[in-house]
Order: sequence, then C-alpha cells, then structure tokens
Amino acid sequence: MIAEPRAQPPQARGTLRGDAVAAHRSRSQRLGAAQLLDWLAVTYLVLVVLAALAAEYLPGLAAPTASVGEFSQAPTLTVNGLLGTDALGRSIFSRVIYGARASLAVACIATAISLTLGLALGMLAGFYRGLIERIVDLYANTVASLPPILLILGLVAATGPSLFTITASLGILGIGTYARITKGGVIAQAEREYVLAARALGAKDSRILTLELLPNLLPTLTSVVPPLMAGLIVTEGSLSFLGYGIPPPTPSWGGMIAGSTDLLNRFPLLIFGPILAIVLTVFSLNTVGDRLARRISLREGQL
Amino acid sequence: MRSTRVLYLRAVGLRLLAGVPVFVLVTFAATALSDLMPGSAAQTILGDSATPQQIATLNAQYGYDQPLLVRYVGWLGRLLRGDLGQTLYSQQSVFGLLLERAAVTFEIALLAMLVALAIAIPLAMLSALAPGGPLDQLVRGVSSVMLSVPIFVTVVVLGFIFALVLRWLPATGWIALTSDPLGNLRQVALPVMCISVSQAAYFYRVTRNEIVATLQEDFVLLARAKGIPTAYILLRHVLRPSLTPVLAVFGLSMTYLLGGSFIVESYFAVPGIGWTLLSAVKIHDLPTVQGILSVVVVVYVLVFMLVDIGYSVIDPRIEIA
Repeated sequence: MIAEPRAQPPQARGTLRGDAVAAHRSRSQRLGAAQLLDWLAVTYLVLVVLAALAAEYLPGLAAPTASVGEFSQAPTLTVNGLLGTDALGRSIFSRVIYGARASLAVACIATAISLTLGLALGMLAGFYRGLIERIVDLYANTVASLPPILLILGLVAATGPSLFTITASLGILGIGTYARITKGGVIAQAEREYVLAARALGAKDSRILTLELLPNLLPTLTSVVPPLMAGLIVTEGSLSFLGYGIPPPTPSWGGMIAGSTDLLNRFPLLIFGPILAIVLTVFSLNTVGDRLARRISLREGQL
Repeated sequence: MRSTRVLYLRAVGLRLLAGVPVFVLVTFAATALSDLMPGSAAQTILGDSATPQQIATLNAQYGYDQPLLVRYVGWLGRLLRGDLGQTLYSQQSVFGLLLERAAVTFEIALLAMLVALAIAIPLAMLSALAPGGPLDQLVRGVSSVMLSVPIFVTVVVLGFIFALVLRWLPATGWIALTSDPLGNLRQVALPVMCISVSQAAYFYRVTRNEIVATLQEDFVLLARAKGIPTAYILLRHVLRPSLTPVLAVFGLSMTYLLGGSFIVESYFAVPGIGWTLLSAVKIHDLPTVQGILSVVVVVYVLVFMLVDIGYSVIDPRIEIA
C-alpha cells in the first residue's frame, strides 16, 4: 500500500490548470473509451461482490475445499473446471470466488473500522487542534512511516496468523490515514463562509461538525476509499502469499498464487485464475477511485 | 552563507526531535509484542515440550517475566550501548546480523530506485510533450495497469519468464557483492526488476503530471517564444521544478519498497532484511523482530528528514523551517 505524503509538497504549481488544459485537449477522443473503462470496472466489482456474497447459491459451483476431480487439470468448459483444478484436485474457479469473499471481508471490515474511527478522530483534531491534533498526528506519522506488512508481521510473530489479527490490525493501522485526510479537510473547510455563517447563527460545535462539515468531507473521503481498499486487498494478499495471512484451507488469492508456484514449471496455466482476479479487482478499485477524485477536483474547481 | 548552514542544522535537529516520539512509540510497541502472546511468552516461544528449566533460562535472558516498562527501559539502556540483544536461537548479535542483512536490502533498493527513475523520467518527459497523444495514452495505460499488479504477482510472473522459461537469470540464491561483483549483479537482476516495475509506474505518473503542469508556466512560454529548442527547455527549464513532488513520493516509496522487499526476498531467497524478518517471525524470534522494527523506523525518520530538506535544495523558493 502506498501511503499519502507525510508532508505535502510545499506547493502545487498550476497543477489544476495544466491538467485542465490536457484534459480539454484530449477530452473529445478519450471520453468514450475512458467512460467505458469506468463502467467495466464498476460492473466487474459488482459481479465480484455478488459472487462472493452468493457463492453457495451459484448453480453447480463446488465447495472450495471439495475435490472435484484429478489434481492439476488444465481448464475445461465446465463450471468447476473453468480455471482448472489445483494440486489437491479442488476447483480453482470455486476457490477464486470464495477467495474473493475472504479478501473483500478483510478489506470491508478493516475499512469500516478505519473510516469510522479515523473520521471521528480527524474531525476532532482538525476542529479543536491542540493536544488531540498532536496525538492524531503522531499516530498517523508513525503508521505512515512503516509498511503495514512489517507491523502486521511483527504482530503475527507474537500472536500467530489469524483472520481476526489481520483484519483488526489493518483496521487499526488505517485509522491514521483516514484521520489525516479528514483533519486536512476540516482545516480547509473551517474557514469557509458557510461555517462562519453557522457559527454566527449560534450553532453548537456538534452541529457544525456533523451537519455542516461532515457532508462536505464525504466526497473526498469517498474518493479515497476505493484505492485504500485496493491497498488492503494487496496487503492481505501479500500476507497470505507469505503464509501469514488467511490460514488454509480457507481459500485466499494470495495463498492460491503461492500454492501454484510450486507446480509452476509443469502447470503454468493454473496460476492465471487468482492472478487475474486480484489484478482486475485492484485495477477496478483504482479506476473507480480515480474517477471519483477527478469529479471532486472538477467540483472544487467550479467553486 | 553561514546563516544558511545554521538554518539547515536547525532543520535537521527539529526533524530528528520530531522523530523521537515515533521511534519511542514503535519500539515500545515492539517490546510489548511478547505480552500479546497467548499464555506465557517463554512457553509459546519454546513450544509445548519445553522444560521449566529452559523456560526459566529464557526468562532470565530476555526478561519475558518482567513487567513491560522494566523490559523497555532495559532495552533502551542496552540500545544506548549499541546492543540490540541476541537472536533467539543462534545467539548472534542482532545488531551485527542486521547490519549485514541491511546491506543486501539497501543494494537492491538503491538499484531498483535508479532503474525506476531511469525508466520513468524520460518516458514522463516524452509523454508530457503531447498530453493526450498516442504515446501519452499508451504509457499512461500501461502504468496504471502496472500500478494494479501486486508485487507478489510480479515476482511469480517475472521469475517464471526469466528464470524458468528463458533461463537467463538464476531464480534463487545469493552471491555477495564483495566476492563476485558480476555474479552479484546477475543475482540481484530479478529482484531489482520486480521492485522497479511498479516503482517506475508510480514515478512516471507523478512526474508526467507535474511536467504537464510546469509546461503551462509563463517561463516556459517565454523560453519557447525565444525559440529555444523543446528538448533544451525540457531538460534545463522544466525538469528541475518538476522534481519536488517526485521527491515527496520518493520518501513514500521507501515504505513501498521495503514492503515489496519482504516478498521479493522471500520468493528469491535473498538474505536481506525482509528475509530475515520472515524467518524470525516463523520461529517467534522476538529480539530480531524488535531489532528490525527499530532499525527500520530510524531509517524512515532519516529518509523523511532528507526528503523534507531536499525540497529547498531542489527549489530554493521553498523556505526551510
């Protein structure tokens, strides 16, 4: 996962202007293809989420731990053989779908933890400044300065790998990022006229925070969620790849890729399923995030 | 001139001071790891077959039966004498071990950075010349795909292509730089390649956007009006002011690089920091884990300090504080 800059580059010279010109120049030719890509990304994500949620009810899909035939079979045109079978004769297609469940569950729960706590802490830090800002800054700087995988591996050295450890620690580490983004947003918005107006009308702090500031923070936060979730999926995948993530036999994309490397020499085709699944997921999330970020910068530009 | 030096020294001091709480937080958490172990730490480390005698010895050496604060103060005290403790089983000095392993990771990281910059910056300049043009679209497309490929996929794919199919490069193993520089270069080629792929995509993205923005500036217009060739404008007028954000992501990508080095080192069996950490995690070697966390956090504080100060070196308009 790539963290946000600790210190923002001191100035952003004419970035908006430059991009606007570039965007204008290429808009006519790019619009069609770019929009198509955005919609493909959304469609893919919806399909993955639906498949992960309804895996048990998909017609003909074998259980991820059930053997469906010979080991390491090349792909065939059946539901369970679509991506071949793994070294234990289990359906790779089924395991990719159930693997989506593990990845998405980790990413969604961790995001829920980081987003709620990070939002609350970031708002307080940006609004009241002082001690709470210092504490939030220290935490955000600390977690941003180390790769999450290092911190989690350290934790795993003590507790051993489990779904709970990984989800909880990813969630707690992510608080820093969301708190920093929220704090920046609050500080930028706090000087705006609408906040002044609310204050002049005698609004309490709690009202300004929840009813005035929060709605204006949401667009920015929404646009950072997809790329950060992609980062979580990659971190979980990395841990599973290293053997410290989701413990087997529960399928996970990282674990499946690691498992296929032993037989890569003889059965290279069998690694494509999980690779395709994780790359497409990360790519789609990044694409959606870019699109949202572009919309927001346009909106801000019009103000 | 002297006042500038004082200013820089002050900036270095301030940033080091700001790094102290970060260091304390991380190392304290690392000391607390043994308290997170299920049951008694010594029992978990040694396994179920450990005799009470062995457990007592371990506790005596590492103090796992002591309160957290006592352990932390003791650890800090030894740290001041340059002692990070002994590894759990081989009883090597953690400090010596990390020094040796860090050199390997550092070599790979440095080479990967250089390769990534060498790929990214020329491509960024070329594609920024005609934003939206075919080259720009192609490279941007490729780079956004590259950014979505996790490094554990890159190692598998590139390892498969270059070591298994083409057999150009050795898949695993290590030859020290000092014993055989050329052999070392062959060994690091695959790890460096794997790390630099996504790194290059990332640098490209940032640099390209920044150059596009700089090209809109008035001084570029003036240079063009004077009839200066575009290549000269790019190299002499545009590149340097466009590098500030690159420097910003340079510090950040260190985080990414180190995270990536765990995967790369474990997959290609390269004896660097990441590989050391992974083997330490496997055997619950907490002293080594703690040592690695402390070393890494110090490196980060230093890197971010250099990056912060580097802004004003690249762009003198930015005042240092």
